Amino acid sequence: MEGLDLHCQMLVEDYREAQPVLERMKTEVLAMLREALDRNGLVVTAVEARVKTEESLAGKLALKGAKYATLSDITDLVGARIITFYTDDVDRIASMAEQLFDIDWQNSVDKRKLHQLDSFGYNSLHYICRLPGYEYRFELQLRTTLQHAWAAINHDTGYKSGVEIPREYIRQLNRLAGMLEMADDEFSRIRTEINDYRRRVQQLVQNGKLDDVLLDGDTFRSYLQARPLEALNKRIAAINQAEIQEVPLIRYLRVLKALGCETLGDVSRLIRKYEDDAYRLARHQLGNTDLDIISSAVGLQNICIVCILSTGGGKIGLERLFDALNGHNSQNEALAALTYEQASNLPFMNK
Amino acid sequence: METTIQKNGNQVVALFKGRLDTAAAVTTAEEVKPLMEAANSEIILDCSQLEYISSSGLRIFLSIRKEAAAHGSKVIVRNISADIRQVFMMTGFISLFEIQ
Repeated sequence: MEGLDLHCQMLVEDYREAQPVLERMKTEVLAMLREALDRNGLVVTAVEARVKTEESLAGKLALKGAKYATLSDITDLVGARIITFYTDDVDRIASMAEQLFDIDWQNSVDKRKLHQLDSFGYNSLHYICRLPGYEYRFELQLRTTLQHAWAAINHDTGYKSGVEIPREYIRQLNRLAGMLEMADDEFSRIRTEINDYRRRVQQLVQNGKLDDVLLDGDTFRSYLQARPLEALNKRIAAINQAEIQEVPLIRYLRVLKALGCETLGDVSRLIRKYEDDAYRLARHQLGNTDLDIISSAVGLQNICIVCILSTGGGKIGLERLFDALNGHNSQNEALAALTYEQASNLPFMNK
Repeated sequence: METTIQKNGNQVVALFKGRLDTAAAVTTAEEVKPLMEAANSEIILDCSQLEYISSSGLRIFLSIRKEAAAHGSKVIVRNISADIRQVFMMTGFISLFEIQ
């Protein structure tokens, strides 16, 4: 507390007494933010909170202690920060915060709106908030990952620590701020376009225009939402009155591409072409067992097996299939041989 | 049927010995409970001495996988016989588990 006048020393004493309350408030704010983000389905880079250290408080008081009559006049004793991926999310989370806390609008700052037309720099939204039951306010900072990176590096240069640095470096830092602002806008634009693309794909899938949709991870997921394999899986489940466990089918994307599917239309035709033989294969394999649980992948797996064998892929083709589904393993060769042998008596092998 | 569980650092290994049929499943389900609680671990289901697995056994493996995922753990099925690998394949679970 060296160098502080008596008033500031008393504020530091008050701070020491208030610390347990500040810690409790920090924990509560953090929990409320995390819960609300989760509830609103908002994915962010980081959510963090801290109680101002005594050293930092003393530094602040040394500079402008006379401004604060009481400890509760200091608005950043507790600080929370949410770092987002996208600029749009800053506004979304700001609305969320407005519903969670009482905002002290007079002291809140949207630094994004403060810049002159010809200047760039620190962009961030600072809300001063109240939480019922606490006499102290806290600061909530909302910024994007790129804004955070710029702020952290800028802070590291000592720009704001009172140490004079040449104007040329300040200009270079601000140039970077402008570039990052453009990058932030681009990321948001790209996300919007990707979402539009997904909506268009869903529309095409719903309208049955499958030949217009190229096969990729996104489009395959959209296609699977229409449950195109459900009927086949149910037929297979009926063999042993089995229950069907839902499992992800994304591993089959690579297999379907290897089988020549370029569009969702190709996948749809593949299913239609081989589903009866896929069922016969399942009946042949499961009919003599009492296995009464199957995965939702069994229909597509058998379609791939039948397709490979019908098109002359043989044991090597099956081995590659099992490698793709389950990783390369020396036992896949034996499994391929066994599957080939099981299928050898089925009609599709003798066409 | 006998299940032994050993913890080795970040790895939890369950060694299954015998036939995991419907009759054995109730006891085995109890014995594997410590696996369900292992957080942020690598759970190895060592099947080198597992002679047979029924639907009840598959359900136990699925429960372990589900709980492990919820606790940030990863499940690896190791040393399965050709017969048991075939069971995983016929039921369509071969693409679900990491089988080494």
